[in-house]
Amino acid sequence: MESPVTRLPTRRRTKSYGRSCFEASSRFAYTSGQLTILRIPTTREAPRARNIAERVDPEQVTLLIKNEWKLSYVTPLYRFRHTHLKKYSKHLSAFIAAEKQQGTAVEVGLETGYRVTFSTVLGIAETDEDAETVFIQIQSKPMFAATGDALKVVWSGWLTCVNGSPEYLHSLLPDFVSLPLFCSSGPENITVVVKSWFEKMFDCRFGSLGLDSTSLQWLCALWTGCHPDNNIRYLRLLWTLPTQPPLDVSYTVNPQDAWELWNSVRQEDSVDGTVGIDEVKHFMAGLESHFFRHFKIYLSSGTLRKVSTALGSAQQDGKVKILCSDYLATVLTLLTECAILKMPI
Amino acid sequence: CLTSTQLVENEEQFQKKLADVIVNAEKDVSVGVRLARRLPLPVENEETRPCIDLVVFIINLSFERSFQSVELSLKYVDPGFFLGKVCFLVTGARCWSVSSDRLQSVRKLATSLRCPLLYAEDQTVEGVNTAAARLLRVLKVTAGLTPWATGLSLSTLTRCTLSSDLEGDFD
Repeated sequence: MESPVTRLPTRRRTKSYGRSCFEASSRFAYTSGQLTILRIPTTREAPRARNIAERVDPEQVTLLIKNEWKLSYVTPLYRFRHTHLKKYSKHLSAFIAAEKQQGTAVEVGLETGYRVTFSTVLGIAETDEDAETVFIQIQSKPMFAATGDALKVVWSGWLTCVNGSPEYLHSLLPDFVSLPLFCSSGPENITVVVKSWFEKMFDCRFGSLGLDSTSLQWLCALWTGCHPDNNIRYLRLLWTLPTQPPLDVSYTVNPQDAWELWNSVRQEDSVDGTVGIDEVKHFMAGLESHFFRHFKIYLSSGTLRKVSTALGSAQQDGKVKILCSDYLATVLTLLTECAILKMPI
Repeated sequence: CLTSTQLVENEEQFQKKLADVIVNAEKDVSVGVRLARRLPLPVENEETRPCIDLVVFIINLSFERSFQSVELSLKYVDPGFFLGKVCFLVTGARCWSVSSDRLQSVRKLATSLRCPLLYAEDQTVEGVNTAAARLLRVLKVTAGLTPWATGLSLSTLTRCTLSSDLEGDFD
């Protein structure tokens, strides 16, 4: 693999065996800048219920789940130090105040100051190459509040990298830290200010991250597969069909039926604990053909917009909600992969 | 001179725009453009149907059904057509919401059939005009109006291949 910044020494494997002897467990794809090639896995580990409290502070976990997060991708951060978080907190605070003075961060109403807290969330990163997750919280400080009043959280966001592609992470120059997935929750004007602060401080770029239909299908199948351990309660899919006017179809499946369909699709010889893309495609085809049998409508002629279960929901426009912390790692791995794929280099 | 092309598209949107431009663009050659949603074509008009010089399958990458419909239609194409008289036209390849594996499957299909794969932008007027101009050039070759080329030689030069980089070994 060649990237414009480093050239890894390549050792050519001798082609002494044919390619058809084994199933490829990944395929290659270019990032959107067409300069880096990544491996996209075609099989994934089936999500196992893991008590996340063993690895991550439960208080921090509650910050991450149950909120609806808007996703963006971030290019690698230049000279970001996990040891300087206090400095960054003060810096961002001052930046927001300055932007407010200029009139860009519009907060009509009471004069409020902002208190910014940067913190590290240990335990989310899965491999040694993943950088530790950084959580940012912005609380409003009303001018006339008594000391001891609980501050209201107005915005929160976090940067993370979970199981990032090793080839991509190795190709980065030494001073760069990659935390490709950015999740934000709160007023859009504050998000814009936070992003522009990051761009100025660390010479990075943000971009909106949407979830394509394959990623949504993966989540649909992986969550359904969790049903025996964690009741998903419903599987709801939202499709939009390109008719005039556009038709929205909300397709809710009984969890037990969904699980039985998923079970029947799982191949006999599949390695326990891995899920293949073919099984996901068959699962979706099963759901779609059932719908067709009843309504004579091909769902595949439309676009899948949203997948939701009791474990979480994901939308095509990049909004994600994780309701069950047990499967955090699986979902974040998928989202990190989507973010890295969008890198403009 | 008379040429005839068959456009096959499940969504029936792009083919109409394309047909209008193609028919109006060319003045010295009489171009007949036939539209269909899928193959096989209905049996009723078989006698009056002219000889088709080029079959173009239009795939909209935003919809899975588009690709599935083309896969089903391909079964009804006479094998002789694949020697230079079939071409794939893909729209929506740059759309952010399209997953990369859908384009990859189309490319695999086109490579396995040794056919050219063209990309088109169907939302703007320039995009439609460009696509029409390219198809017209291919059509003139397959109809035998270009003295130095035949449909088979052109498709051999322009056929879709999966990049050897993506298939090769990496370490």
